[in-house]
Amino acid sequence: MKELSSIEINGQRKLVKIWAITFLVLFPVLITLGLLMRLNQGEVLDIGIDNFYVFMTLHGLGMAGVMYSMAFAGLWYLLSKKYVRLNLKTGYFVYFAVLIGVVGVTISTLIGKFGAGWYLLYPLPFKGTFWPGWSTLLIIISLVILGVAWLIGNIHVVFALAREYGGLGNILGWQYFGKKEPERELPPVVLISAVSLIPGILAFIAGAIFLIMYLLQNFEPGLTFDNLLVKNLIFFFGHTLVNITLYCCLGWVYTIMPEYTHREWKVNKLLVWAWSGTFFFILFAYFHHLYMDFAQPKGMQYAGQLASYFSAIPATAVTMFGMIAQVYHAKLKWSIVPLAFLMGVAGWAIGGFAAIIDSTIALNKILHNTLWVPAHFHTYMLGGVVLFILGYLFYITHSKEELLKNNMAKFGFWSFLLAAHGFLAFFYSGGLYSIPRRYSDYKGIPMEETHNIGANIAAVSTIFISFVLIGLLIMYVSLFKKILAKNTQDGII
Amino acid sequence: MRLLTTLFTVQNFAAVTSFIAAALVVAVVIFLIVTSQEDEDKASAKHKVYSLRGKYFFVLVILIIAGLFTSLRFLPYDTHKGTPDQLISVVAMQWAWKMAEGPMDKNPQEFEGTNEITVPSGKLIQFAVTSMDVNHNFAVYNSKGDIVTQTQAMPGYTNRLNFRFQEPGVYHVLCLEYCGLAHGFMVGKINVN
Repeated sequence: MKELSSIEINGQRKLVKIWAITFLVLFPVLITLGLLMRLNQGEVLDIGIDNFYVFMTLHGLGMAGVMYSMAFAGLWYLLSKKYVRLNLKTGYFVYFAVLIGVVGVTISTLIGKFGAGWYLLYPLPFKGTFWPGWSTLLIIISLVILGVAWLIGNIHVVFALAREYGGLGNILGWQYFGKKEPERELPPVVLISAVSLIPGILAFIAGAIFLIMYLLQNFEPGLTFDNLLVKNLIFFFGHTLVNITLYCCLGWVYTIMPEYTHREWKVNKLLVWAWSGTFFFILFAYFHHLYMDFAQPKGMQYAGQLASYFSAIPATAVTMFGMIAQVYHAKLKWSIVPLAFLMGVAGWAIGGFAAIIDSTIALNKILHNTLWVPAHFHTYMLGGVVLFILGYLFYITHSKEELLKNNMAKFGFWSFLLAAHGFLAFFYSGGLYSIPRRYSDYKGIPMEETHNIGANIAAVSTIFISFVLIGLLIMYVSLFKKILAKNTQDGII
Repeated sequence: MRLLTTLFTVQNFAAVTSFIAAALVVAVVIFLIVTSQEDEDKASAKHKVYSLRGKYFFVLVILIIAGLFTSLRFLPYDTHKGTPDQLISVVAMQWAWKMAEGPMDKNPQEFEGTNEITVPSGKLIQFAVTSMDVNHNFAVYNSKGDIVTQTQAMPGYTNRLNFRFQEPGVYHVLCLEYCGLAHGFMVGKINVN
C-alpha cells in the first residue's frame, strides 16, 4: 500500500477520535439505563413498567450499536493507517448515518415510548403495544438507516481489502492452503476483518429483509408473515452483529499485542484453518437462540449445538493459546493496554464457557430466557469487548511511557474490572435460581422465594454497577485529556 | 438414585462446571502475570506453550465429542419421549394462559381454556402450545421456584412438549418471552395430584 500523507493520517485520526468521543459519551449513559432497570427490579426505585421496557429497548439496541460501531471504527483506523487505503468520505458517511440512526432510536424510545426490546420480535411491535404507531415506524426507519450505514461501511472495507490483497479468497487466507508459500504475507488483522465483516454483510442483508417486512406490515396491517422465518432472520442478524463485534476487536488485539511482547503473531496455515472455521461457525451458531421453538427443523437445532461447541476449538486452541504464547515469560511491562487485552481474552473465555453451557439443548431447556442468558453475553461485552475497546483507546491516545506512569487510570481499570465481574457473578446466580430475564420487576412471581431472590440479586448488583461507572469515569480523566488534546501521538506511528 | 437426581440438576451442573472453568481462567491469568517478568528465549517459550496446546487440543476434542454424545440424548423434543397419556392444549395470549384437556378443535382465538388446570403425577403429559397474538414462552416452575420444563408459544405453530410431573404439588406457568407491558404478570397454575 502506498504510504499515507500526514494530512490523510490526520484525517483518519480525527475520524477515530470522533467515534471514540461518541462511544465514551454514550456508553455510561447506556450503563445508567441498565442501573435504573436493576434498581427497579431490586424494588429500590420505581421507574414504572413502561419506562423499564423503554430503557431495556434503548439499552439493548444502544449497547449493541455503539459496541459494534466502535469495534468497526477501531478496525477502520488500524487498517487505514497501515494496510489499505480507505475512503475518508465513506468513513464520515457511515458516522453521520449511524448518528442519525441513533437519534431516531433515542426519539422513538425516550419520547415515543417504543418498548419492544432490541429484537423487536415479530409481531410484538404491532400488537398490544403501549406506544404510538409513529414510534414503531420511526424505529424501523432508524434501524434501516443504521443497517445501511454499517452495510456500506463493511462492503467498502471488504472490497478495499480484496483489491489490495488480490481477491476475496486471499483476504480469507485461502492462498495459505496451497503448496507454495504465499508471495505476500497476510496481516492477521486483514484476515480477521474479512472473517468478521463478510458475515456482517450477510447479517445486515438479513436485517434489511426483516425490516422491509416490518415496513410493509406497518403500512398494511392486514399482512401476516411467518413468525418462525422472521425470528430466524432477527436472530441471524442480532447474534452475528454481537459475535463479529468481538471478532473485530480481536483484529486489533492480534496487531497491537506484539508491540508490547516483541513476539510475532503471524498468519500461518493453522491460523487460516482456525479463522475459516470461525467464519463458518459465526453463520450457524445463531440457531441456538431457537432451541425452545420445537417447530424449528431438528437439523437446525443440532447444527446450533454443533456449531457452538466446535467454535470453542479455534477460539481457545488458536486465539487464546496465541495470547498465552504472547505473554508467557515475555518480560513485558503491564500497562493498561496489554492488561486490558489479556483480561478481555479471559472474559471472553469465561463468557464463552457459559455460552457453551447455554448452547447445550439439554441444559437450555432449563436455562433458556433466565438471567443466565444476559449473564453470558454481558460477560462477552463488559468483560471482553469493552476491555478491548478501552485498551485500544488508551493505545491510540497515550505513549507507552505515559501509560506505565498512569496509576490513576490503572486504579480505574481495576475498579472497573473487579466490579464488572462482581456484577456478572450476580447475574449468573440469578440464572441458576431460574430468575426470568426481561421482567420489569419480580412482583408478579407467585413463588415468594423466587421473587425475593430476584429482587435481592438485582439490588446488590446495582452496587457493582456503581463501581463499574466510577472506574470508568476515573479512566475517562486520562482518556479525555488526551483525546481532546491536539497533536496526540499514538503507538502505531 | 433419588439423591443423585436431586444433586444432578441442570442448575448444579451449570454452576459447578462454570465455576471450575472461570477459576481455571483466573488461575491461568494470575500465573501469566506473576511469571511474566521471567525472561525466556522467544522460541523456547513458544515451543512450551504450543506443545501444551497439542495436548489441550486432544483433550478438548474428546470433551466436545463426549459432551455432544451425552447431551444430545436428552433433548426436550417430543420424538424422544414416547406416547403421551394425556394431552393438554395451551393457548398463550397477552397476558394470560388458556389451558384445557384434549386436542385444540378451534382456532386459537376461539379456543376456551382456563388459567389453572389439574393433571396427574407420574403420567406423561403432552402440552400442545401455541399463541393467539405474539410470542410467549410456556415455562413451568415447581413450588421451589425452579424451572422444570419450557417451550416457546409462537403464533401459527404448535410446539409439543412432553413432560412427566414426578412430584405432586402446585406448579406455576410463567411467560419467558417478552410479550409486552404485563409480561412479568402472565402467570398460570398447574395442580399436580
